[in-house]
This record gives sequence, structure tokens and C-alpha cells, in this order.
Amino acid sequence: MLAYILRRVVLAIPVLVGVLFLTFLLSRLIPGDPCRAMLGEKATPAVCDAFMERTGLNKPIPVQFAIYFGRVMSGDLGDSLRFGRPVTEMLMERLPVTIELAVLSLLVATTVGVILGVVAAYWQNSPIDAGTMVFANLGVSVPIFVLGLLAAYLFAVVLKDTPFSLPPSGRLQAGIIVKSIPEVWGMDDLGGPLRGLLDFLSQMYVINGILTLNWQVASDAGRHLILPVIVLATVPMSVIARMTRSSLLEVMNLDYMRTARAKGLNERRVVFGHAMRNALLPVVTIVGLSLGGLLSGAVLTETIFGLTGVGRTIFDAITSRDYAVIQGFTLIIAFTYVFINLLVDLSYAVLDPRIRLS
Amino acid sequence: MSTTATTVSTQVEPIFNTKPRGLWGTALRRLFHRRSAIIGMIILGSLIFIAIFAPMLATHDPNQALIGLEDVKKREGPCIQLLGCAADQPQHFFGTDGNVRDLYSRVLYGARLSLMVGILSVGFAIVIGAFIGAVSAYAGGYTDNLLMGLMDIMLAFPSLILAIAIVTVLGPGLLNTLLAIGIVSIPVYARIMRSSVLAIKQQDYVLAGQSIGSSSNRILLQNILPNALTPLVVQGTLGIAVAILDAAALSFLGLGAQPPTPEWGSMIGQERNQVFTAPHLIIFPGIALILTVLGFNLLGDGLRDALDVRQRS
Repeated sequence: MLAYILRRVVLAIPVLVGVLFLTFLLSRLIPGDPCRAMLGEKATPAVCDAFMERTGLNKPIPVQFAIYFGRVMSGDLGDSLRFGRPVTEMLMERLPVTIELAVLSLLVATTVGVILGVVAAYWQNSPIDAGTMVFANLGVSVPIFVLGLLAAYLFAVVLKDTPFSLPPSGRLQAGIIVKSIPEVWGMDDLGGPLRGLLDFLSQMYVINGILTLNWQVASDAGRHLILPVIVLATVPMSVIARMTRSSLLEVMNLDYMRTARAKGLNERRVVFGHAMRNALLPVVTIVGLSLGGLLSGAVLTETIFGLTGVGRTIFDAITSRDYAVIQGFTLIIAFTYVFINLLVDLSYAVLDPRIRLS
Repeated sequence: MSTTATTVSTQVEPIFNTKPRGLWGTALRRLFHRRSAIIGMIILGSLIFIAIFAPMLATHDPNQALIGLEDVKKREGPCIQLLGCAADQPQHFFGTDGNVRDLYSRVLYGARLSLMVGILSVGFAIVIGAFIGAVSAYAGGYTDNLLMGLMDIMLAFPSLILAIAIVTVLGPGLLNTLLAIGIVSIPVYARIMRSSVLAIKQQDYVLAGQSIGSSSNRILLQNILPNALTPLVVQGTLGIAVAILDAAALSFLGLGAQPPTPEWGSMIGQERNQVFTAPHLIIFPGIALILTVLGFNLLGDGLRDALDVRQRS
């Protein structure tokens, strides 16, 4: 098993270097003089010369890549042109928002998707099956931004003044103040990585609310997340439902299922103990792969629902041509994605011994 | 002895009474037996019809602001006289948009753009991807490792994010969107083509071709390519759905089609802040997008089942 893990990790390294090179290349390919692009109106010839010298942009491309590589390795992703702040600092502030949204969406998508898939497969060709599959087909065909806007309209306008009304944007109601976790815990002078982690978690308002026992924050942040989570979860949920159904149907017809029934096991044991275990393998892959879609979808979801996460930041950076931010955030997203794919591969090996032995 | 053998063999009942059909013949027959595939084909057929005859079906010029020409206000809701709209009011099936243009005509013309973007970008991706995949599989060794490594790097980016990055480099616009989505989709087709070619290379009929002295080109074009095409066609059909969604998303974000182009995503993006007051501006282009994507998804799923050799009876 260890050999398998090591092999997979080593295989991921060239991909990561390639990802670094590609993001490096993208920033070099942006048309026009990089100095003018980065500094805008401040770019006089003298300033530009100094800028090119300082950033190493007057050196040959391989040297430039080496410099960039070294900087990224030491955790320096450059400064945002628009905000004049380090990109890493912005990431620490905005990544938690996206992680909270994506993880909750993936949880909802997996739970509901698997349940729908099992129900549809077990009652194959029934009206329940047909209904679920129509729903799943629509689910993969609805553009996230259309769903998001219509959901916002439905829950904020049509259902206004009913118990089902939900806020269409923002993270908290005006007037609710969030304190960071170390502050509430009286650990204000704490430093180091633990402080970093707590600050990171503080940005996830639901978790912050729970950890600081502030139910008002937790519940209001949760209420604000319902619509974005539903919208972002719809596509992966539909894909997972379809996958679970087809993979369960395939397994249900195998001989060992008949054996299980013949030896008198009850239906629950047959479906959940015998069929699901094998049927879930492809589902695990789909859950992992959905994360790429979730990160893409986060750009749209966060833009629509006014959440300042990674996706929204990339979108804003594009409209304001903030190249360091585009580059840094794209890089982190790609790194996350590679890492998650690695985890999926590894979990696959845990679930199916044949894979790690081959 | 030999005469008895002949008489016996002529008396043998043929095993297959039906006329043999080719892969595509069987597939087509199976396709028409699937309700969802038929629905998909009907949707796509209507869309193609709308796209071709948009000038005749449209009631207005899609880019003409009607201010001063008609007594309508901007972002007015649908007015259909058959459904009770006053006869003296100008008729607008889907209402008007923020620039007092007829939304119905714009949605109709939008079908042209979405179909074009979907088909062209996937076509581009298939041609380049299939070429890379075939070369990779045929050459093997370093070439294979290098090309597939490159594809893995591209797959490390979520597709929309990579497309956004590429459009940032190329500059916004419909053509660049088309190109960006095409580029982003290449790895999928390259991988499919590579694995198909690798599998087919081992088949006896390829060996037979080689042993009768066919040239490599002939084997690649006549034996391998037609057999590798099936998975590409299936993935391509489903890929068009994804391409249309991504293109609409880019346009929604303001990176794709630029105003006043009647592109569905851009129409929704421009009016997104008006969703609470004029939801029809989101609903109609939204439904058009959903139906188009649904059509390709249903047809793609149908094709996959129909072409699945294991299921052929």
C-alpha cells in the first residue's frame, strides 16, 4: 500500500510542475508590456526599467521561470495590483469561504445523489425511477447561473413573507458581527501555525459560530448558504444519482446477489451490505471528479450570491485585470484539484485491493 | 462422401434469419427505440429549424432598439394578444429587454450562436484531440509520455477556470471563447482516441491488414479510425452540451459574446441584476439554454447506449 501511495505521489509531481509552468506561461502570454499591464498609468520608462529589474522580467524565460518557481515555493504569490496586498493574504481570507461552500455542496450532492440513485435503481422502471431520472437529466442541463438567479427570485421575491423566504445574497444579515475564534477564546496573543489555522477557520462563519457557541452567527450564516449550496450541488447531485443508479443496476444482476438472496439474507443486507459496497466504487471517482466542476461552479455561484470566495475573486480580478491575483488563485485551484484527484486515487486503492496490487 | 457432406450442409438452417446490419445501422435502430433519445432529437431538430429560419420566425430585428418606433417601455413583460394582452398594445411574445429590444427575436437568433459555438468548439477539439491521441498511441515511448503528460496538466485545471484564463490571454469575444473552450476540451478526446487506438491495434483484423501488406496509412485510416470513432461521437455529443454551458457561462461573466450579440448567456448576464423586477429576461433565454443542453445530453446518452457493442443483440 505504501509503495502504491509513493508511486502516485511521485507521479503527481511532474503534473504540479507543469501546472506551475502553464500558469507562468499564461501570465507571460498576456498581450502587451507586462510593466504597463501591472502598473497601468504609473508606468514611465524609468519606473518600468526598475520594475523589469526587480521582477526579473528582463531575464531569459527559463531564468524567469526559475525565479517564479522559487517564489511560489517560498509561498510568495506576488501582490495584488488592485488591493496592494499579498495574494497569499487574500487567499487565506477567501479560500475558507469557497471551501465551506464546496464541502457543504459536495456533502449535500453525495447524500441526496446516492439516495436518489439507490431509490431509482431499486424500483427500476417505476414512476419513481422515471421521475428521478428526468430530474437528474434536467439537473445536468441547467446552467448554474440560470438556476442561481431563478432560485434567488423564487426564494427572495415569490416566497417573501413566507417561512420559506431565504436571503439571495451576502453571508450574514446586516448588523451581525463576527469575531475571530482566537479573539473569543481569549487567545489573542497566540501566534504560529495554530493561529493561522484558527484565523482560517474563523472565516467559515458556520464553523466559527459553532466553535464560538454563537448560534446567531451559525444559523444566519447557514441560512445564507442554503441557496448557494443547493445551486452548486445540483449538477454533481444529478451526476452522482445517475452513476449510483447505473452502477447499482449492473451489480444487482450479478450472480453473488442471487446467492445472497438465496441464502436468505434480508433485502436491506442484500442492497446495503452486498450491492452498495461494489456499486459505490465508480461513485467515489465521480464524487472526486465533481470537485473540479464545483470549483468552476463556484465562480458563478459566488458571483451571483455575492460571496467573496475564490471564484468571485478570480472574476473580479479578471474584470480589473489584476494579473497576480488571477495567476495565484488559478494556481491554488489547480493544486487543490491535483491533490484531490490524488486522494480519490488513493481512496480507490483502499476500497478495491485489485488496484493497489496491479 | 463428399456428396453427402454437401447435401447435409445445404440442409442446415441459417442461424441468423435477419439481414445483417452494420454497427451504425443497428445503432440507429436502437436509437429510435429509446424515448429519451427521440425527445433529444426532437428538441435538437426544432432548434436547428429555429436557427436556420430565425429571420422568418422572428417578429423584430434582434438588435433594433424599439424606442420611438413602438409604444413600449424597457423590460416590459410578455404581451401575447391571444392570451389576453390588449389588442392596441404592441405584441412581444417574451417581452422586451433593457434596451427595448424584442426578447423573442433575440432568443430565436441566440439558437444560431449557441449551436455554432457548441459544434465548432467540439469539432475543433475532436480534430486536434483525435490527432494527438492517435499519434500518442501509434508512436508510444517518449512521444506518448510527453503528449499525455501535457494532457494531464491541462486536466489539472477545472475546465471553466482554464477557459477563463485562456480568454484572459486572448481577450474577450465570441471567437476567442470558442477557441478557449475548444482548447480546454482537447485532452478528453485525446485520451479517448489514444485508448481506442491502443485497444484496436491489438485486434486480429489489424494484424491481418499488416500481413497482407497494407500501408500504415491505410490501416490507420481504413481499419483503426472508423472503429475508434464510436466513442468520439458519443463523447462529442455530450461534449457539445458542456461546451454550450461553458460558453454561456463565459458570456454571462462578460468574457464571451459581447453586446449587442444576441447570445443567451450574455443576455442573462447583462440583465442579472434585474432578476427581481423583470424575471422574464432570465427565464426565456434560460429555458432556451436548458432545452439545448438537455437535447444534446439526451441524444448523447441515447447514442452511448445504442452504440454500446456489449448491448447489441
